[in-house]
Amino acid sequence: MIRSTYLVARRDYLGYVTAWGFWLGLLFTPVILGIFILAPTFAQNAQPTRYYTVIEQGQVFTDALRQEMSGSDEQMVRMILDPLAVTERRSSDVLDTFDTAREAGASVEDAFEAAGGNPALLPRRDFVEVDPPVSSSAELAPFLLGETLIETPEGPQPLFAAIVVNDGTREIEYWSENLQARTLINAARQAEHELQLDRALAAVNVSRDVLESAREARRDVKQQRLRMGEEANAETEVTQADQAPFIVSIMMAFSLWFLIFSVINYLLMGTIEERSNKIFDSLLTSVKLPHLLAGKLIAVLLLALTLMAFWGIGSGLLTWFVRDNIPADVAKGLSSLVVAATNPALFIPALISFVLGYLMYGSLFLALGSLCDTIQEAQTLMTPLFVMLMAPLAMLAFAIQDAESALIEIMAWVPFFTPFLLILRMPTEPPVWEVFAQLGIMALTTLIILHLATRVYRAGAVHGAGVNDVWAFFGKLVPGKSSA
Amino acid sequence: MGEELPLKMTGASKWFGSFQAVRNLDFEVPQGSIVGFLGPNGAGKSTSLRMALGVLSPDRGQVSLFGGAPNLESLKRVGFLPEERGLYKKMSARQIITYFARLKGMTNSAAKARADELLDMMGLSEFARARVTKLSKGMAQKVQILSALAHKPEFLILDEPFSGLDPVNQLALEELIVEEHKRGATIIFSTHVMEHAERLCEKIVMMARGRKVFDGGLDDAFAALGRAVHIGVSDGFDLGQAIAPSGFEATEEGDHWRVILKPQQSSQDALRAAIDLGAPITSFTPQEARLRDVFVSLVSEAEAQDLTDTLAADAAAQERDAA
Repeated sequence: MIRSTYLVARRDYLGYVTAWGFWLGLLFTPVILGIFILAPTFAQNAQPTRYYTVIEQGQVFTDALRQEMSGSDEQMVRMILDPLAVTERRSSDVLDTFDTAREAGASVEDAFEAAGGNPALLPRRDFVEVDPPVSSSAELAPFLLGETLIETPEGPQPLFAAIVVNDGTREIEYWSENLQARTLINAARQAEHELQLDRALAAVNVSRDVLESAREARRDVKQQRLRMGEEANAETEVTQADQAPFIVSIMMAFSLWFLIFSVINYLLMGTIEERSNKIFDSLLTSVKLPHLLAGKLIAVLLLALTLMAFWGIGSGLLTWFVRDNIPADVAKGLSSLVVAATNPALFIPALISFVLGYLMYGSLFLALGSLCDTIQEAQTLMTPLFVMLMAPLAMLAFAIQDAESALIEIMAWVPFFTPFLLILRMPTEPPVWEVFAQLGIMALTTLIILHLATRVYRAGAVHGAGVNDVWAFFGKLVPGKSSA
Repeated sequence: MGEELPLKMTGASKWFGSFQAVRNLDFEVPQGSIVGFLGPNGAGKSTSLRMALGVLSPDRGQVSLFGGAPNLESLKRVGFLPEERGLYKKMSARQIITYFARLKGMTNSAAKARADELLDMMGLSEFARARVTKLSKGMAQKVQILSALAHKPEFLILDEPFSGLDPVNQLALEELIVEEHKRGATIIFSTHVMEHAERLCEKIVMMARGRKVFDGGLDDAFAALGRAVHIGVSDGFDLGQAIAPSGFEATEEGDHWRVILKPQQSSQDALRAAIDLGAPITSFTPQEARLRDVFVSLVSEAEAQDLTDTLAADAAAQERDAA
């Protein structure tokens, strides 16, 4: 058995990895993921500068808007300088240097450089204010329609928007041909809010600093947890290390889903190829059917492991090369994730879930592939399976909000979802009996599916059963159609 | 490996739903023989051969391969060419032959050496590393045949091996079968082209409509049909009446008389009898019996029998319904 299974697995595996499509997927998946992650930054940098103007009798609203726009730029630059500190709302040396420079009157750009920021990373300003080319809204039309250009440091450019402040009617009008870009109009609304707040405070003789003091005086609500056993004497405050298992479990569940979704196609295509190439009879006089199936499943499992190893080693090497540039906080976070991922309490159930989940879905795809002569035929049968595979993905969203939700707990008992949802539940430390029961049910279901898949595969490979036979089978289950 | 029969089928039957593809089939393939498994399309040949290999299980009866039910051990002694040709398109000819040889138990180095030897023997050395998609249909078929031979099987089961081959390659395949037989292999091949069976086989099994209609040697097959000579005479001579006392049966067919030869009679006997009778002979043409004629005759009989059986079954059913 081992020899014939090994030979089938070896042939299939080499067949997959020597195909150019495999290498395209292997190399381009990280590239595509990278593009998705960096796309917003690219899009922002690629966007042309937009020029706007404010028409106002005085300067009050104009100054408020300038402050608002400068505040958004400042927030963005602070995020670039130290994203973790900004997210966790704490101070850091870099941010302190930046703030000190700003308080001393430096521009956002100069303060960024003073804090050690790389000028190349400084995002270009999306919106730049220009002097009003006309004095009334009635004369703005040719500028907003692009018929007349305004003078800018980049040469003549169209006017993107104009804000007209009418003190007489107490109205502020926002004029622009672009109805989708909300940044500037939102900033204008926020500026007006702040302006009116300042006026209200002044009316009651209260300084704005009172609000700042109140904000500074806020007490943080620290998340705590009770610890059991050996950890009972440890700090109770929730740390990165406490949250790491949840993050890792989500990553693992998603990775399992992604791998099953991406490699399962190989099983399907390989089986369709063998069926259309009429090669089953030759194989079945040399290999027992279960051994043939085992070889095929092992080949694609190895393929999945190859992908994981390639991406894992690639990520490791990349991290190693940039290790000196990784901030200490980020390094600590990564370390917590590695520790969580290698914790046997999470790792072992995840590994079992991965293997059983792969066998369950893999054998289903293999069996259905044996009934199809073409990809078009396969698509009609695969659609329900793909829908079933999408459900765990939707549940990942629930798990991110609350891994202990009743939905996750209940759905984890459904064997088709157990591989993904059990991993998600592990950091919540479910009762041991539940873990074993769910693993047991999943193993039993996998065995049943493997058995049924072997029968379906035999029907497809040996007896030439096809898609029409599947519909005929289901047709017989419909009352009144059994004789049809 | 002993003297057990390579293949024996006893009362083997196979249904696909309500359709009975093979009916109560009995036959043996003696060791060292070349057996032709003949029949028209849909006769049940491929189903029978798939049962012989254990790919399909008989619904009734037994199949014995080297003395036991077909299993991977006995199948290692068998080389099989399926009717539906198929190869892995992205593999090279050498890889495919090596792969199937290894599945049959050969070591990697031995399988590669055997693949090179076979490809060289069939004049395919220069295509050894070419992908199957680069090969012509005939070449690909040769590669598949070589895959069946690679592990030097004791018993070769070839399902329609000549179909799809041009005459030159058909001849090459005949020579290959003879070579394999000389090596000691027992061979059964199915075909509906009688000439191959006439040239190669010692034994014939004929099937029609799922039934065996003949099982025996070539001579027996010819005897089943009967031989004849055509004798032309002039002046309205009644050869039929004249030759009857000599033990010959003759019927007039246009410008000649057809004289039926019994098994112990030769065409020379018929000619001599006609001369002795003083018949004015104008032509003499011995009619060589061909396997094709035997085949057509037996298949027609089987089809007629099948029709009779069907009508009888329908009548019986109607009677039952009426009752």
